[in-house]
Amino acid sequence: MGDQRAYSEVLKETARFLRPFLAKRLSFTNEVDDLLQEILVSVHKARHTFDGNRPYKPWVYAIAKFRLQDYLRSHYADQLHHAIDLSEIEESVSENVTETTISYESISGEIQKLPEKQAIILQMIHQKGFTAKEVADKMGMKESAIKVAAHRAYKILRSKLER
Amino acid sequence: MENIDELINRLSQDTTKAQLAPHPFLLSLKWMGWAVVYLLLSLLFSGLRPDLMVKLHDPWFDVEVALIAGVFFATTVSAAVLSFPDMHQMRRLVFAPAIMFSLFLLVMFFAWLTDNPPAPLPIHSFECTVSITLFSLLPAAWTFYAMRKFASTHYHWAGSIALLSAFSAGALWLRLHEVNDSITHVVEWHYFPMIGIGLTGWWLGKKILKW
Repeated sequence: MGDQRAYSEVLKETARFLRPFLAKRLSFTNEVDDLLQEILVSVHKARHTFDGNRPYKPWVYAIAKFRLQDYLRSHYADQLHHAIDLSEIEESVSENVTETTISYESISGEIQKLPEKQAIILQMIHQKGFTAKEVADKMGMKESAIKVAAHRAYKILRSKLER
Repeated sequence: MENIDELINRLSQDTTKAQLAPHPFLLSLKWMGWAVVYLLLSLLFSGLRPDLMVKLHDPWFDVEVALIAGVFFATTVSAAVLSFPDMHQMRRLVFAPAIMFSLFLLVMFFAWLTDNPPAPLPIHSFECTVSITLFSLLPAAWTFYAMRKFASTHYHWAGSIALLSAFSAGALWLRLHEVNDSITHVVEWHYFPMIGIGLTGWWLGKKILKW
């Protein structure tokens, strides 16, 4: 029981000193939280490689940096993917994605069938009247990512409605 | 923040006993022990080169064998150190193979210079690379298997060094088994393929040692 409490304290302290380290390197709070959780799980998984005879922090930071690099690598790969999408839809992105001639209500059934994120974005834009920037702020995403997601959703809807 | 606290509670309640990893020196000693047993058994079955006693009077051969054994030793220690997330805070040891490889290259260069007139090339060529690779499969497999139990944060390097360690044991076996005096052949078909082996290990490391 005492061991469990001590271990819990160590993990809490670890989370405390890792949070600013991650916050400095990541833009959004939800990213920091997600990665911090991942790092804590990794620390737990690798606990047998720490014997207590050498300093703890270098060991933890090695794991944290490793997970951070992994995260950034996949994040940038995702960004590159978006960049390719953006170049493909350069013209339509400059258009106002929040304006459309079709009412939300008339196609709400089809919107609900979209992937969850896309459905939420369209709902926020067309039902609640938010701008792309406002949606981006609320969802912790970049405005360009919202536009790309909305554009993809329109594409799916268009193909469904044209059938 | 609530999620973090919840996660910490969950992790601290995990009562699964994690067996403490041995010190990298002990770990490498264990790996080397297995490799030496395997090498001796292989030599027992395949046989030592008949002219070994004569060759042992050739200083270049002695230094070559000693250095390839040194490469094996250094790469095994380095692989064990690389198995730990923080390299057991002995970062410098990871570079030990670089020193051994440099010395080895230097010695091979001088051995090649002194090989004058050059010893005749054997009839075979790539068969040596294949033999060494086949010999290395088992030690490579057990090293990777053992390394997977740890938590390497440098999986590319770890994979590369682990494979080089197994291959150097193979190269040592062939040098003690095959009657061959051609330095050109040895460099070309025994040692030069190490570059490819290192690259393969780099790729395998990501596939096998990522956690």
